[in-house]
Amino acid sequence: MHRIPLIATLILMFIFFMPINSVRLNYFRPTVGVICVYYWTLKRGYMFSYVSAFVVGLLMDVYSSSPLGLNIVFMMLLVSVINWLARYFQSASFNVCWALFAAVELGQILLKWLALTIYFGRLVVLSEVMISYFSTLMFYPLIVCLNVWVQNHFLPQERINE
Amino acid sequence: MWRRGVLLIKFRELKDILRRSFVVILFIASFLFILISKVDGVVVETAHGLVMDATGPIMQVVEFPSRIIHRVYTYFYDIGRIYTDNRELREENKQMLILQNKVRTLEVENQLLSRLLNYTPPEDATFISAKIIAESGDNFTHMLLVYIGDEPVKKGQIVLGNESVIGRVDKVSGHYAKVILVTDINSKIPVVVERTRARGILAGDNTVAPTLLFTRETADIQEGDVVVTSGVGGMFPAGLPIGFISSISGREISVETMADISRVEYVRIVDYGLSNEEEIRKDFFESKDDAR
Repeated sequence: MHRIPLIATLILMFIFFMPINSVRLNYFRPTVGVICVYYWTLKRGYMFSYVSAFVVGLLMDVYSSSPLGLNIVFMMLLVSVINWLARYFQSASFNVCWALFAAVELGQILLKWLALTIYFGRLVVLSEVMISYFSTLMFYPLIVCLNVWVQNHFLPQERINE
Repeated sequence: MWRRGVLLIKFRELKDILRRSFVVILFIASFLFILISKVDGVVVETAHGLVMDATGPIMQVVEFPSRIIHRVYTYFYDIGRIYTDNRELREENKQMLILQNKVRTLEVENQLLSRLLNYTPPEDATFISAKIIAESGDNFTHMLLVYIGDEPVKKGQIVLGNESVIGRVDKVSGHYAKVILVTDINSKIPVVVERTRARGILAGDNTVAPTLLFTRETADIQEGDVVVTSGVGGMFPAGLPIGFISSISGREISVETMADISRVEYVRIVDYGLSNEEEIRKDFFESKDDAR
C-alpha cells in the first residue's frame, strides 16, 4: 500500500518519456516526476519517503544526459522542502497548492540551471527551460487529477475532492 | 511492563536516528554520484546500465501507442503533401540525373587516381538500425534511448538519422543505448564548413540550433553553408553532413541540423572501425606517459 504513490509516479513518468519525434515539441514536455513528488509529499508525506524521491531522481537522471545524481539531489531537496511546507499547506485549496508548486518549481529550475552552468562551465540556455516550466505548470491540473484518482481508488481514507 | 515501555521508546529513538542517518547517507551518495559523473567511472556506467535494462522493456511497451499515433499523423500529413512533394521530386529528379552523370565520371577518375597513388580505401562501414523507445526525461538535456538488441555497440559510435548525423552513443547497457543528440549541451563535434574548409567545434547548447565555436575570425562563412564532420580527433569519420549555417550574428554562428527528428523512428548506429572514445583516451594517456 505504501508503494502506490511511487508506482503511480513511475507509471506517469514512463508515459511522459514517450518519444514525440520533435525537438521543438520536446521543450513542452512537462517534468511529471516533479509534479508527482510534490503532490504525494504534500498530501501523503508518510507514504512518499526519501527513498522514493531517490528512485524518481535516479530515473530522471538516467533518462537525461545530466550528471547522475543531480536530479536525485533535487528530488530529495524537494521532499525536504515540501515536508516542511506541508504543515501549512497540506489542506490548502487546489489553487493555493498550484501557486505554491509554481514557486517551488521555479526555485528548483533556477537552482538546477545554476548547478548545471557550474558543472558544464558554460551558460546553459534558460529560455527553453522556461518553456518547459510553463508547460509543467499547465500540465499540473491533469497530473494532479490522475494522482487524486489513484489516491481515491487505491489508498484508504482521506478522500479528497479537487 | 515499565521496562517494556522504556525499551519501546528506546527502540523508536534508535529507529528515528537510523532513519535520519539513512537520509544523510542518501544525500551523500547523490553528491558522490555527481562527482563520479565528472570522471565517468564504472559506477556511473553500471548504475545507468542497471536502470536502463530494468526500465527499457517497460518503455518498449509504453512507446507502442505513441508510435501508432505518430504513424497515423504522418500518414495524413503525407497525403496532404502529395501534390507539392511530387512536383518537388520531379524537379529534384532532373537535377539528380545531371549529378549522376557527373558522379560516374568522378568515380572513374577517382579509381584511376587511387590506382596511381596506390591508395588503400578504408574498410566499409557497418551499421545497425535501432528503434527509438524514449526521449529525454529532463528539460535540460537532449537524448534518446534506443533498443539495440544483442548487436555490439560501442560508446562513441556515430548515430545517423535519415542520412545526417544526429548524435553519438553515450552509454550502452545490455540491450539499450543512450544517444546524446548534437543539440545537447554535452555534445561537441569537430566540424568543417564544406565550402571553405573553415574548421570549428559544433557545440550543442540545448537549443534547436547548436553553435559553431572556435572558428577563425577571418573564416569565410555564409548562411546556408553546409557543415560536415572534420574527422579531427578520430572519433567521427570526416565528411558526414550535420547541418547548415542558419544564422550569423557577430561571433555567434548557429547551425540548423539536417536530420528531421520528427521523421525518425529508427536511427542507424554506424561503426566506421574507428577508435572509440575510451581507446582514444587510453592512447592519449599512454602517449603522455611515453613522453615522460
